[in-house]
Amino acid sequence: MTAYFDSNATTRLAPEALEAMLPFLGESYGNPSAFCRFGRALLDPMENARIELAHLLGADPSEIIFTSGGTESSNMAIKGAVRLMPARSRIVASAVEHPAVLEPLAFLEREGIEVSFAPVDGEGMLDLAALESLLDEDVALVTVMMANNETGVIFPMEQVAGMAHRVGALFHTDAVQAVGKIPVEVQQIGADMLSVSAHKLHGPKGMGAIYIKGGIDLPPLIHGGHHECGLRAGTYNVPGIVGLGKAVELAAREIDRQGRNLSSMRRRIEEMILESCPGSSILGSGSPRLPNTICAVFEGVESEAVLTMLDMAGICASSGSACSTGQSGPSHVFKAMGLSDATANSAVRISFDRYTTEGDEKLLAAHLPRTIEKLRAISPYS
Amino acid sequence: MWNYSQTLLDHFTNPRNVGSLDNPDGHAEVGSSECGDAMQLDIRVDADDRIEEALFMTFGCASAIASASALTEMVKGRTLAEAESLGNGQIVEYLGGMPEEKIHCSVMGSEALRRAIADFRSRRDRVRQAIASLPPELSRALEGCSLPLERAGATRVELVCGGEGHPPVEELEQYLADRAGHPVKVGFSV
Repeated sequence: MTAYFDSNATTRLAPEALEAMLPFLGESYGNPSAFCRFGRALLDPMENARIELAHLLGADPSEIIFTSGGTESSNMAIKGAVRLMPARSRIVASAVEHPAVLEPLAFLEREGIEVSFAPVDGEGMLDLAALESLLDEDVALVTVMMANNETGVIFPMEQVAGMAHRVGALFHTDAVQAVGKIPVEVQQIGADMLSVSAHKLHGPKGMGAIYIKGGIDLPPLIHGGHHECGLRAGTYNVPGIVGLGKAVELAAREIDRQGRNLSSMRRRIEEMILESCPGSSILGSGSPRLPNTICAVFEGVESEAVLTMLDMAGICASSGSACSTGQSGPSHVFKAMGLSDATANSAVRISFDRYTTEGDEKLLAAHLPRTIEKLRAISPYS
Repeated sequence: MWNYSQTLLDHFTNPRNVGSLDNPDGHAEVGSSECGDAMQLDIRVDADDRIEEALFMTFGCASAIASASALTEMVKGRTLAEAESLGNGQIVEYLGGMPEEKIHCSVMGSEALRRAIADFRSRRDRVRQAIASLPPELSRALEGCSLPLERAGATRVELVCGGEGHPPVEELEQYLADRAGHPVKVGFSV
């Protein structure tokens, strides 16, 4: 028996998305940019996908550009914003962004851009007052994720966007963890640019999109042919685009029911953890969070040992800790939350999705308390 | 997930020699939960410098726990000299290999052993120095008895007496404990 509880890392491809993609990996192999009918016939399925995503985000299809994933989208937004506003030399971000945002920022910092980070509190919530105090008319871009991948904490987009716009800055949000899980409306949140990843919402890997608000003349990141109106060169990933479209269509249809199901699953799993694992706590539980994400701390127990023991029982979960990712030191998210390294080293992330079953939940409930008890018996800190 | 050997996973899920000793002969704490790895090791050493018992507690990943478990198995019954010659490479070998990124876990094990042995020696030195400089009233009360220095351990000493009278075992234990900084048991034989 196996159970997958690492949906914030990636999700399984929806069977409907796979089915929709198959013809485009087979007989429908044409290049949509070509003159002949082999290719031209592919334009409609691709444009349908664009319409689906635009519909989900409350955008116009002309505002959606397909990319290779969330990382490319965020790179395009961040590097493009700086080029678009050469008179401004600053970027403000949250301290808990994903590396897909942090690394382009670090790159620009080496090129002379000043990057400032707004802190979060102990519940993982963005400090809005601190963010505002960092803003001035020299800020080209404010980039703040919509929901954090490790804690699931959801940031108040409308307020962040309002602050950015008051100083004339552009606002980008890395929304890869939010889209498909909670309602994301670009006009309501006031986003100028928004990153989407297909594989986080049961679409294919290597596929993503960026929403660019109409009228924002963002320069391309990748130069080449005239694809995507010259904004993103490279032959269309037709199966990927079609798979994204189908995944988005399902997400739009399922989002309310799925949200309710995930919320009650989260409540049940959290109750199980708190009741049957003494010395446990849930990070960010005082903040609004994604319905599918639990970040639990098991005092006195090292997270990777928990993951290894769960893995041996067929359960896949994850942690932001050092060893599991090969980096050194605990995750920057936990550091930003002011957690001690000891606590950060004891945090385990349990994330799930539409396809997580009651059986998965039972397997977790059967093994997690036992695992914690066993490891705590070995621990000098128990 | 890491690719672990079956032996390593066995030591991780069924760790040997978990626990701690009351009044150990040697104790070591290495790492800290802040670094993501921490280990505590207690050893009991007999009068022939042989490790009778080794117990550990570990906060750490699978390889840290398995390394500690393997280490305790490897040192039990060995002399201090033999134990000291153990390197972390032998722990890795014992466990059937370990991912390169995890070798530091085995280093923590051999570091704990080195420090526990050093702690044992320093405890024992304090006890032996205390024996070598008994106060006059205790010396007088122990007349006719011998306290062989070379048999004196870190937490146990042997007192051999001629037969007559009652040697002041409790006073001696109290004195040694005060001087050594930890409880010392006096074994009395005639």
